[in-house]
Amino acid sequence: MTNDVSTAVEVDLDMIAEQVWSAFLNGDNEEETIFAAPDTGAHTDLAASVAMVGAYEGHLVVSCSHKASRDVASVLFAMEPDEVTADDVGDALGELANVLGGNVKSVLPSPSQLSLPRVSATAHERWPGTVEVCRTVVRWRDEAYVVSLLSGGQSGSNNAQEA
Amino acid sequence: MKILVADDSRVMRQIVVRTLRQAGFEDHEIVEAPDGAEAKSKVESENPDLVLSDWNMPNMSGIELLHALRAGGNTVPFAFVTSECSDEMIAKAEAGGALFLISKPFTADTFRDKLSDILG
Repeated sequence: MTNDVSTAVEVDLDMIAEQVWSAFLNGDNEEETIFAAPDTGAHTDLAASVAMVGAYEGHLVVSCSHKASRDVASVLFAMEPDEVTADDVGDALGELANVLGGNVKSVLPSPSQLSLPRVSATAHERWPGTVEVCRTVVRWRDEAYVVSLLSGGQSGSNNAQEA
Repeated sequence: MKILVADDSRVMRQIVVRTLRQAGFEDHEIVEAPDGAEAKSKVESENPDLVLSDWNMPNMSGIELLHALRAGGNTVPFAFVTSECSDEMIAKAEAGGALFLISKPFTADTFRDKLSDILG
């Protein structure tokens, strides 16, 4: 646990998000995806996060609307959006945060451990004592996905393991 | 050949299986496990020819699974598919007897490059 909030890290969130979307979400005709999109303060309903504990303490959070979360789950599970269940959304959005977080953690001070992902309503999520280090917005299928790296806070409560 | 895919995320297991197919390895039998403990049981009961395991899983992590298998004398070819590939983790994996790490996100090309020698 620490109150020493470090923001002096170099993380290219734009590039990491583009790699993840390109590998897992973009199909052959996905030219409309915009990386490092303008941050228009889009409303988000769900937040998926992983916590980092150790030499770097913080969280990687990806937030989006309910519709956006169903779109992600439908592509990752290869099913129609109206067939997607809440469990599917939780698994898919959590894994998106896990992959983004794992890649971010790789360029942060080590050693540190990554928690299992957690998905909940944005309105219920708080990360006390944190500051946002950087963020990027991906605009995919007309929906905004906000990816944020937070530093500091009590990140040890998320069942952290080495990732 | 039989491949055991261990990952606590259902969607990631599905992506791994789909990517194996896209990489041309569609003729192999797939067995799945949702954590390291169940993966260990399935290695013993199913006797797979290859294990593709996540690192960060509940109950038993991927590296704990590898250590448990090797401690029990099981030498099944073992590779990690993980969202992070730091030098420290690569060293731990190799020291434990893993073949290599595949980092998420991956593509069918990545799977072909890494797995062709094993799966043919």
